[in-house]
Amino acid sequence: MIHALEARHAPVVSLWVWYHVGGRNEVPGTTGMSHFLEHMLFKGTPTHPKGDLDRLLARYGAQWNAFTNEDVTCYFETVPRDRYEVALELEADRMRNALISADEVDAERTVIVSEREGLENDPSFLLGESLQAVAFDRHPYGQGVIGSKFEIKLMTRDGLYAHYRRYYAPNNAYVVVVGDDRAETLVEKAATAFGGVGQAEIVASPLAPEPPQMGEKRLVVHRAGGALPIVQLGFHTAAASDPRAAALQALAVALAGGGGGDAASGRSSRLYRGLVERELATEVDASFGLTKDPFLFMIEATVRPGVTHAAVEAALLQELGRLADEPIDESEFARVRRGLLASVAFPSDTITWRAFRLGSLLSTGAAPSIGAWYDALAKVMPEDVQRCARDTFVERSRTVGHFIPEAG
Amino acid sequence: MIEVSRRSLRNGLRVAAIPIAGLRSVSVLLAMEAGQFFEPAGRPGVARLTAQAMLRGTTSRDARAWSDALDGLGASARLDVGSHAAVFAGQCLADDLGAFLDLIADTVLRPALAPEALEFVRSRALADLEEAKKDTRSVADETWRELVYPVGHPFRTRSIGDEDVVRTATIDEIRAYHRTGIHAAGSVLVLAGALDADRAFEVSERAFGPWAEGGTLDRPLRSVDLDGASRRAVVVPDKTQADVVLGWPGLPRTDPRFTKAQVANMVFAADTFASRAGQVVRDELGLAYYVFSTISGTAAQGPWTVRMGVNPENVERAIAVTFTELKKIRDGAVADDDLALARDKLVGELEVGRESPSGVAGMVLEAELFRLGDDHLERYPRELRSVSKADVVAIASALLPIDRYALAIAGPEIPAAS
Repeated sequence: MIHALEARHAPVVSLWVWYHVGGRNEVPGTTGMSHFLEHMLFKGTPTHPKGDLDRLLARYGAQWNAFTNEDVTCYFETVPRDRYEVALELEADRMRNALISADEVDAERTVIVSEREGLENDPSFLLGESLQAVAFDRHPYGQGVIGSKFEIKLMTRDGLYAHYRRYYAPNNAYVVVVGDDRAETLVEKAATAFGGVGQAEIVASPLAPEPPQMGEKRLVVHRAGGALPIVQLGFHTAAASDPRAAALQALAVALAGGGGGDAASGRSSRLYRGLVERELATEVDASFGLTKDPFLFMIEATVRPGVTHAAVEAALLQELGRLADEPIDESEFARVRRGLLASVAFPSDTITWRAFRLGSLLSTGAAPSIGAWYDALAKVMPEDVQRCARDTFVERSRTVGHFIPEAG
Repeated sequence: MIEVSRRSLRNGLRVAAIPIAGLRSVSVLLAMEAGQFFEPAGRPGVARLTAQAMLRGTTSRDARAWSDALDGLGASARLDVGSHAAVFAGQCLADDLGAFLDLIADTVLRPALAPEALEFVRSRALADLEEAKKDTRSVADETWRELVYPVGHPFRTRSIGDEDVVRTATIDEIRAYHRTGIHAAGSVLVLAGALDADRAFEVSERAFGPWAEGGTLDRPLRSVDLDGASRRAVVVPDKTQADVVLGWPGLPRTDPRFTKAQVANMVFAADTFASRAGQVVRDELGLAYYVFSTISGTAAQGPWTVRMGVNPENVERAIAVTFTELKKIRDGAVADDDLALARDKLVGELEVGRESPSGVAGMVLEAELFRLGDDHLERYPRELRSVSKADVVAIASALLPIDRYALAIAGPEIPAAS
């Protein structure tokens, strides 16, 4: 499928190719394979040997990269308008013709281990990864995305190549393009580029639905590599395609706004006022991610020096309980709605982000267009948010994680 | 082409408006010459404390009412202190521009700066400093600065400041810094997006017209020259990756060689994939996930640094090959294609940067803040394209000596055999 939007404010086109493969399609022993493969797609094809792609796109000043998450692997290029066909040709080429040699796999392995080690330096990542693993008993979301370091070290060229041939084909991908041309023209050019790419026989990955959680789970991560304690809460929640998804996004905005860190915005949110203003936490965050299958509604607070985990956890639960028990008043809800709609409008004014937004809505089944998603958000009412809080923030589906820094 | 309309208010605030058709929002950047460079000597951290305290309420609205009003617009906003400027950066819907500027002006012109506001931001800053001690990137950066800049130099610490200063700053000091440091003269307001220029000037005048002009501060600094190679490794316990900062004092943004330095930087290490060091360290040898260099555009000699995240076993090799690539450039072994690539990439990025209102605003802000000329954006691509191999070699020889540098490493212990 090819989806295109016109954006005429800059002479630029942003091309995104989304493959339905990610952490969700992996099993123990191959965790991190989709992400590893993403790296290998930058190692050239017979037509464009390694380095060719980098230099060609760099020469255009392109913004280009790739990412892998639980559900998808995605490649994108934002290029000057007159280079759109080049970007198409490169993506169509590497869809089926990537060179994945044993030597390059070995060379890239250390890069991926390095990427993982960089993440391990971050206490929030360490705790989040462990919490995800504890929260999911069966569903592959519990494995995360980057994979275990031990499995990365054992990954073989043949395994990666089989993964590539299995999932990288037009019938397991879709293209999103936004830019400075008629939408029909953007689609036609993409159709021409990808039209000749052969299809693959797509075999659906075995799915392991997550059974309902029957009680709170808790975990503790101790390490010296962090200075401030952290509390994370994860609640099993709905998939992006669930009719409650828009209200769950509103719930995240009500809790933490869209700011975070040192931002001046988002300070009227419940968690900022309930924890940061009361000097219990230095930072707070709440997120409902758009995912294909039900994932976690995540809450995080960085504990201020001199404050206990227990005090922060209690304050978090109190704020979540308030949202579940009491309806949001009109003036607060007006702010939440404004923030919610701005969270769609602002990124849409950047061509790259408009394409990303559309692609992520499509990839997860959240909405068929940015406009439809905007409308869904606009329809959310205070009682929808309260209902979501009541249904989501329940003890039996909660996983609580504490990061405890150790002296070192 | 980016069409910029300019106007100066009577108090000296320069306003640049860039209408962009087809958008719904406006990107706002207000840069005040109140960054580290302008901080009182020996008091690093005062600028950031002042900026953070300014967000804790005004003379007419307490912090709660101010954030209610801001979030009521759905606008995004932050105030950060950089090496040169304190920058209010935000985005609002087109219809809200006037109200958004009024809110920014309220906090910039009329902050309450109450004692409890200082205590709030002080405790947060101390927590941030505590966290930074365990963050390998922060530790490497701080260590590198200590190796390069003498005591008293504004860039010796990061903008978060010195712990003693953060602990001892008084509300009188914060108020005095606001009075003398936050003023219209030298400040620049850039608005880009869904706007009409005349209307943008009108609402800017309404919001910022009453701002005191103040006076610009001239801060003479002695040139920073390294007299040899220095290296310091700091062990941060229980980490798996080392962060490495290798670098030199750079050159001011207004230095006529700056554009040449940007091209030299791109040839050398600016990009993980398109630059020499990145290609070798990551792509050929697989030694690091990230490696890139930046050259700071500021009023004085900001950092010109190469940064990389490396497994401890690979640190020495990654540093060695980075020097090898630098030596090749200094020796004139710059392939024509590498130079063309660097120039093309920098020019191309200007075009692609136009895709967002914040990208446009950022380009215009740099030109306005450093008074690079009204025709800078038109000239700049030509200047980049005119940089020659001889220019790159000369810049690398003059500014990136391989026997005078500072190297900081933070993370796990580096193995002796490494």
